[in-house]
Amino acid sequence: MDATAILQTFLLSLTVAGLYAAIASGLTLEFGVTHIVNFAHGEFVMLGAYTTYFLYTILGVPPLFGMLIAGVVIGALSAVVYRAFLGRVLRQDEHNQILATIGLSILMVNLAVILWSPNARALQAPSVLPAVTILGATVPGNNVLVLLVGLALYLGLVLFLAHTRTGTQLRLASDDPELAIYAGVNVDRMFALSFIIGGATAGVAGGLVALVLYVQPGVGTDLVVRAFAIVALGGMGSIPGALVGAVALSLAESAMSTFIPGGASWGFGVAFVILVLVLIIRPSGLFGREIRA
Amino acid sequence: MIALYGGATALILGIGFAAGPYWVQLAIGVAISALLALSWDVLSRAGLVSLGTAGFFGLGSYSSALLADPLGAGLAWVCTVPVCALVAMALGLITLRLRRMYFAIATLAFALALQVVVLIAPDLTGGAGGISPTVIFGGDPRFQLLLIGAFLLAALGISDVLLTPRFRPAFFVIRVNPDLAAASGVPVVRAKVLAFMVSGVIAGLAGASYGGLYGYVVPADVFTLNWSVLPLAVTVLGGMDTTTGPLLGAILLRALEEAARATVGGVGYQVVYGAVIIGFVLLMPSGIVGLVHRLRQRPRTVAGLART
Repeated sequence: MDATAILQTFLLSLTVAGLYAAIASGLTLEFGVTHIVNFAHGEFVMLGAYTTYFLYTILGVPPLFGMLIAGVVIGALSAVVYRAFLGRVLRQDEHNQILATIGLSILMVNLAVILWSPNARALQAPSVLPAVTILGATVPGNNVLVLLVGLALYLGLVLFLAHTRTGTQLRLASDDPELAIYAGVNVDRMFALSFIIGGATAGVAGGLVALVLYVQPGVGTDLVVRAFAIVALGGMGSIPGALVGAVALSLAESAMSTFIPGGASWGFGVAFVILVLVLIIRPSGLFGREIRA
Repeated sequence: MIALYGGATALILGIGFAAGPYWVQLAIGVAISALLALSWDVLSRAGLVSLGTAGFFGLGSYSSALLADPLGAGLAWVCTVPVCALVAMALGLITLRLRRMYFAIATLAFALALQVVVLIAPDLTGGAGGISPTVIFGGDPRFQLLLIGAFLLAALGISDVLLTPRFRPAFFVIRVNPDLAAASGVPVVRAKVLAFMVSGVIAGLAGASYGGLYGYVVPADVFTLNWSVLPLAVTVLGGMDTTTGPLLGAILLRALEEAARATVGGVGYQVVYGAVIIGFVLLMPSGIVGLVHRLRQRPRTVAGLART
């Protein structure tokens, strides 16, 4: 394999990292604040992908706007799901929380199968951005868009958490919910807010998925399992960890599929081997805080 | 206690010898779910919430099938026990320091990693196309049920042994407060590794049985998350930290599944499955056994308080 092809794979995997970071940062925010691991996060991504797809194919809304609408729609849906369901399992044991969100995931995937058939659909929209060529390696315009939007989403989340009043309250509710209550923060609202923001980022990320992957009911399940690896690798609840984990996972996956014959089919699981190795050395991930048993 | 074992034995024998093929298949399905649920519950008693049951399920089906070549089918099944026990011991020691969700995700990773091992070595394992283990009892479902039923009775017995005063308080304190457990002289590492090995062997035997039912094992089936979620759903529905719970849960979940399949059919029953899980977690978080306990005991008694 020549150098240009390797560079091309490398660049493409970096754009995938943008998508992974967008999905994983929402997941890690939800976990950081509420300590619920949302196994249905991928299904919100899937719904975002369908929203963007149908907005384009039925109403002709360009995908770039479509994914913003998807973000709003899925954010609102998350609020409903949180109030009706997830908020009620907050005080239960973790196995019940896992089971609850897995149940939600099963429900959503199969509803999607019933509503939209299990068939994969491709969103064939003209690319907004032109293809970029670096040292002879070409990156398609849609992939550039995925990287840019993914990074914008991620940076937006970081800036929001660091520099706004609500962001500070969110961080306090995440760090020390008890202290947050004494400080006058409405912790329950912050919990709901973390799911709304997580859902909104999932919706936009779904739009990105529609641009570069096939839209199908199971698309979120695959992505969310990767997001778990990313989040555990980076440290659960750590937003910087989500970015580092996303880059590490996408690079590892592309290295697998580039350098090992037939590696494309199992690069996914190798990422998990790396994850386990990291967790043996650092049980709370790379950027995670020590958590109590 | 006697009612549980007597009832289970009577059911297995009754269905095995007197009922039609539909009921036999149903009972086999229930027995495999119950085995997996017991495997999961044993581990959860030590505070280890696993998403890796599928790993041992797949390991058991593969090791019983692959070892049959050099050793013969019977010995291969016997050797599946130490294979699963050793892998479980290794995984238990590796994940010893992981807490809560990190542990859950690491066990999920374990199942996926085993699937990769199968895909990496296609010459040895048959790769993505899977392998064909010997069908047990020449494919006669009644004898298959009797064998799996015997495994189930053994697993119920082991589960009850781990609930005796010799083990239960140790697991309880490890689950509730590992530091206190270590400080008060409970051998935390040994207890956790023991739970892991018992759990791994039970799930492995369920996997070996599953492979031997139809003579067909593919990695994309046996290592999937479904086999890790099923025991979680069954145990939470039935009731955790009990022997009856996993069995009741397996029967109930299968009954609901069949009812949904008959009335809704197709994909719809999966939607019902998801909805049932959600409903149970919201309305009956401690499962059937927990509910029965609450109905039988006045909640203000000491026992009632201790249980919550």
